[in-house]
Amino acid sequence: MSGKVGKRESGKATARETIARLVKAEPLNAVLHWSHELLDAEAARVDAMGAPGALAAMPIALKDNIVTVEQPTTCASRILEGYVSPYNATVVDRLRAAGAMIAAKTNLDEFAMGSSTEHSAFGRVKNPHDPSRVPGGSSGGSAALVAAGVVPAALGSETGGSVRQPASFCGVVGVKPSYGRVSRYGLVAFGSSLDCVSVFGRTVDDASRVLSTISGPDPFDATTVNRPPMRVPKPLADLRGLTFGLPREYFPTDLDAGVAAALRHTADRIRQVGGEVREVSLPNSSYAVPTYYIIAPAEAAANLARYDGVRYGPGHIGSEGDIRALYRITRGEGFGEEVRRRILVGTYVLSAGYYDAYYRKAQRVRALIAEDFRQLFDAGVDLLLTPTTPTPAFKAGEKTEDPVAMYLADVFVCSMSLAGLPALSLPVGRSEGLPVGAQLVAPHFEEERMLAVAGVLEQNLDAGAEVR
Amino acid sequence: MAWETVIGLEVHVQLRTRTKMFCGNRTAFGDPPNTNVCPVCLGLPGALPVPNAEAIRLAVRGAIALGCTIHETSVFARKNYFYPDLPKGYQISQFDRPLATGGSVTFESPDRGRMRVGITRLHVEEDAGKLLHDRYPGKTAVDLNRAGTPLAEIVSEPDLRSPAEARAYLTVLRQILIYAGVSECSMEQGSLRVDANLSIRPGGVTKLGTKTEVKNMNSFANVERALEAERERQVALVESGRRVEQVTLLFNAATGQVKPTRSKEESHDYRYFPDPDLPPLVLAAAWIAEQRVALPELPDAKRGRLENEYALSAQDARVLTAEASLADYFESVVEAGADPKTSANWVMGDVMTSYNETGSFPVSPPRLAALLALVREGIVSHQAAKRVYTELAMFTDEEPQAAAGRLGLVQVSDQVALSGWVDEVLAAHPNEVARFRGGEAKLMAFFVGQVMKRSKGKADPKGVQPVLQERLLQTA
Amino acid sequence: MSIGRDEVLHVAKLAELAVRESELHRLVDNLNRIVNYVAALDEVPADRIAEPYLAGPQSVALREDVEAAMPLARPPASMAPEFAGGFYLVPRHGAMEDQ
Repeated sequence: MSGKVGKRESGKATARETIARLVKAEPLNAVLHWSHELLDAEAARVDAMGAPGALAAMPIALKDNIVTVEQPTTCASRILEGYVSPYNATVVDRLRAAGAMIAAKTNLDEFAMGSSTEHSAFGRVKNPHDPSRVPGGSSGGSAALVAAGVVPAALGSETGGSVRQPASFCGVVGVKPSYGRVSRYGLVAFGSSLDCVSVFGRTVDDASRVLSTISGPDPFDATTVNRPPMRVPKPLADLRGLTFGLPREYFPTDLDAGVAAALRHTADRIRQVGGEVREVSLPNSSYAVPTYYIIAPAEAAANLARYDGVRYGPGHIGSEGDIRALYRITRGEGFGEEVRRRILVGTYVLSAGYYDAYYRKAQRVRALIAEDFRQLFDAGVDLLLTPTTPTPAFKAGEKTEDPVAMYLADVFVCSMSLAGLPALSLPVGRSEGLPVGAQLVAPHFEEERMLAVAGVLEQNLDAGAEVR
Repeated sequence: MAWETVIGLEVHVQLRTRTKMFCGNRTAFGDPPNTNVCPVCLGLPGALPVPNAEAIRLAVRGAIALGCTIHETSVFARKNYFYPDLPKGYQISQFDRPLATGGSVTFESPDRGRMRVGITRLHVEEDAGKLLHDRYPGKTAVDLNRAGTPLAEIVSEPDLRSPAEARAYLTVLRQILIYAGVSECSMEQGSLRVDANLSIRPGGVTKLGTKTEVKNMNSFANVERALEAERERQVALVESGRRVEQVTLLFNAATGQVKPTRSKEESHDYRYFPDPDLPPLVLAAAWIAEQRVALPELPDAKRGRLENEYALSAQDARVLTAEASLADYFESVVEAGADPKTSANWVMGDVMTSYNETGSFPVSPPRLAALLALVREGIVSHQAAKRVYTELAMFTDEEPQAAAGRLGLVQVSDQVALSGWVDEVLAAHPNEVARFRGGEAKLMAFFVGQVMKRSKGKADPKGVQPVLQERLLQTA
Repeated sequence: MSIGRDEVLHVAKLAELAVRESELHRLVDNLNRIVNYVAALDEVPADRIAEPYLAGPQSVALREDVEAAMPLARPPASMAPEFAGGFYLVPRHGAMEDQ
């Protein structure tokens, strides 16, 4: 099903298969919009292309915060119910130009704010490995679809780990590129200095091919860097000559036993195929989550100010009052609880009297965190290896009472977002049947080598095997 | 009690670009509502801003023309507030790291003679949309065509001391910006807007009083009226024992009064922070230097140069440089061969009259120069030339000589014709001839007048006199 | 450092969010929890503070002043909750005259 070299894949056949799988996967609640007509239209378009394109009829799902003209984009929020974008995100145009088929828009934590996809206005998503557990978030729907075998690849978005974390929980590959590598034009903004369109794949190769297609500068996004698109890496035979750093702050003594075992196993394998492993330190790691939870909500509070019920969204809720009533009721009722919480935090940390203490300080601490990574990479470490998440997937409802407990689920993935570094999660084993992911982190713009290394590990590890 | 008035002005000008500040929509005036819009200026989910190079260039030129220091690195910031004309719920502007600071404008104050007003800063930002409150009952209509138009905000130091002075400052500021090619600066079209801050204090005191903000003035004259009304209001308040509150007032042109806005909102907390969608604006020193060189000659410099190069009076130079196009026209006429003083008079007279009416120069500089040459050569009289000018303005491809001929205004200098008329006049007035020959030299004027009459005004007066002289000195 | 009810209501007003009385208590509680958590940054000594971090390009690339706006697949009227005569409509806001 993932485009093979040689015989050209048929869009029509792919559409049939994908529709069948989508129907079967409905209990997961991973999808917000899909239709027979749209898939058939995609198939027809792809089959009419002169050459198959690099993604040759690959069906790809999109997180529902990436805008499309043909399907609604709701960001899993009532405030965008029924909204259909009049333009396509740049990444959508690039996927289509490469021959891919847009299969569905997937469920997410509302406006990408969350780590479990329990904060969707349209119901939670179930982890295909255990429906009583969460798939992770905020890109839980995309992760679940790939894990369930419905599509070989899907787009999600990361602000503080929202693709790597669900990739780990769902046992699939999740890749975050360097900030600025992929256009954000058409990605509904949450934390503008952190947001990255990111990729899920069943295999490293699937993820690489998709990432290569969507990457590259965009004149409509001033935060894209002027570098050529990432290329699909040449396979590596082994890991000789490469040094892997394991930051001690990511291996606390109370780390979940299954996760610890999986990482030990992975480190062993690295050595076996020629890589060197050494302990390193990222001293400012403990500040990452607090820093993130100042910067991201602050930017989000401003980014979500445009949802005021004037130009799009549902009809005026309670529009008998004046303009202020229009705003307050539209937003008070249209946004879910987590989104409102974050808007309030973000507004608070930017408000008069608090800006210096919180927002300005957080930006500066962010630089310290980035500096920690730079020092390691400058000292000869090629890649970092860490657990992706502190535990395997947790049960639905377990962390929804305390927002801070939920935030801590991101503790291992947050720093890389702050530093703008490329990072990925690779499934490396199972712990009592639940997937465990290991994270690789590379220096800026070294996605290609990172993916090549992940490919080697993928060959040398059995992601389905119990680690203990 | 002698009160001192302290005024500062914030001027917003629309930069003369083809497209908006952060997206590629046209900035045309008067198109059907909500048609010059795109995802970016509509604030649609997922849209992102990309700055307009020409807007930056014009803003830099404006800042240079105002003597500002240009900062090689400046930062775009989000100014956050909710209003129906603000699609994103924030305006992209500049805050603590603006494009330029520290300039000045020198001008003639009606009260204090030549003086200088400091320019605190000039920064770039995007405009909001337009609201129409009376189109639909109970509703406000929103048009976002204007949303995203590039603006430069120019803030003056509170150096102005009277409403009249404020108006004079605005006149000169506008002139400089038009000269620099930065903006059309038309208050009627909305490409120049003024917000004023005014406070009063007892004479001699240095501490500033509470200032109020005055808005909604649509002409420089109304700025002056509004500030006079506000000063009166503040003086009345304080003299009756009350305090000035920090409020925003709107000027009502019909009544000439200022009234506080109905909204009781506290001063805004704009929660400025650097816009994460826009990396810092970094300008190369060499590029800034290029803009300085490319700047057209500014009013003060042009005035001085015209005085010197063309030996014009200060007054004439000032009139001619009121607008760059007038001064350019004048110089083109001189370049085409006409005498500077004569050209200056014509430009300040007939030319400026038609320019003020129509906004154009119907008679091209070479044609005016040719007309002035005809006068100089005596082919038409000065009076006749004015009539010819009017014709030339209407028939734009007719040459002056041809027009003069067509109107029968060509003076006759032909010796034979002149001699003919002279002989007729002398023959008709033998008494006067005798008296002249007897010593009454002042009768020459009489003879010239008679020749003009007999020739129905066509004789060239300058040519007539020598012929008369010659004939009269002949003895019979 | 504690945030009271009034402050939460003030922030909600700045953010134009209606807050129901029934949820106010939990919101105040949540916000305090979050703000106390992020105050961990107070530990970072002042002398270790670096310049604000730029994740992407270090300077902004400008675009040419040519008409090249992204076209809309459907017009504003089709997306707007209330639209008439080419205009978006909102409840009449009395504070300001037409600018």
